[in-house]
Amino acid sequence: MINAINAVSALGMTRGIGDVSLDAAQQALSPQQATGGLATGMTFGEVLGNMTTEAITNLKGAEAASFAGIKGEISTREVVDAVMQGEQSLQTAIALRDKVVTAFLDITRMQI
Amino acid sequence: MQPIQLFDLASRQASWLSVRQQVVSTNIANANTPKYMAKDVTPFNAVLDSTPVRMARTNPGHMTDSSQLSDEVDVVKAKLDQEIGVQESGNSVGIVEEMSKTGEIKRQYELNAALVKSFHRMMLMTLKK
Amino acid sequence: MDPLAASMKISGSGLETQSTRLRIVSENIANARSTGDTPGADPYRRKTITFGSELDKATGGTLATVKKFGVDRSKYTEEYDPGNPAADEKGIVKMPNVNMLVEMADMREANRSYEANLQTIKQTRELIAATLDLLKASQ
Repeated sequence: MINAINAVSALGMTRGIGDVSLDAAQQALSPQQATGGLATGMTFGEVLGNMTTEAITNLKGAEAASFAGIKGEISTREVVDAVMQGEQSLQTAIALRDKVVTAFLDITRMQI
Repeated sequence: MQPIQLFDLASRQASWLSVRQQVVSTNIANANTPKYMAKDVTPFNAVLDSTPVRMARTNPGHMTDSSQLSDEVDVVKAKLDQEIGVQESGNSVGIVEEMSKTGEIKRQYELNAALVKSFHRMMLMTLKK
Repeated sequence: MDPLAASMKISGSGLETQSTRLRIVSENIANARSTGDTPGADPYRRKTITFGSELDKATGGTLATVKKFGVDRSKYTEEYDPGNPAADEKGIVKMPNVNMLVEMADMREANRSYEANLQTIKQTRELIAATLDLLKASQ
């Protein structure tokens, strides 16, 4: 998830070929990236969309894990791990949303 | 290195440690059962080496299940305790040995939990305003 | 099945078997001098216990069980005590085949195993508590 933010920063856009191997390596290790080879970055809208989807996915995973945990099908630690992961991605999504909303309000207040 | 990999590794170690705790509990409970040979698990490093690639989650309902790790973690016959060896009854459980294993497990698990807790807290902290 | 939950059950079975063992030992000790009632009658015969292990289908763990209770077929000891109701015509009374030293050693062992199982249960509980504590990490 944080890789996606890096990839979209202005610096990331201009780094180009030199950083392909590093980003590709990071993405190979990170299971969250569904597609590889996005070293040159995605648009901000796509990042936002991905992040929200991922947050929702992790939250659903946390809920499913909680159900299974209550029924006694999986171990306690796995439930805890899933819930923590859901919490992390939710916080990330919220932080990003707050920044976007603040930025948007700033823009609307700009004098033309 | 993103902390995501730490959580991953910590989860796997926690899984391994709980399997080991079960094996040690079984040894201790069966310390007087005739013909019962003490068991142990394959070392964690060996488990790590055997599965470098983690399963990707493609479905929101799909979770890692501990049976995945149980396939990798083998329960093997434990090395014989030198002082006790195999007793007349065919039992090879040394309680002292098993208790020191529980000490090890506890130390490793508490370190694991403490690290995960700290990194989780740190990640949330970076996201606060 | 959660290995930690299985561990609780397994250690629990260990506690059960060891306390059954202690019960047999205390029966033996209590009846170490119990003779028969009539002349020439047999006295208390020492009891024994055999353990086994059993696979528990629900948790997949190997529980400790008591396989069977038995008796010790060794010879009775004999004492000369003509006044005793169980004395035969020569005045010999058959005494139980219970050796106090053996029983005391068995009791110590049973205690030790019981303690070990208890410690293991405590530790498993602590591991579970440490896991749940992770969720209390934030805020």
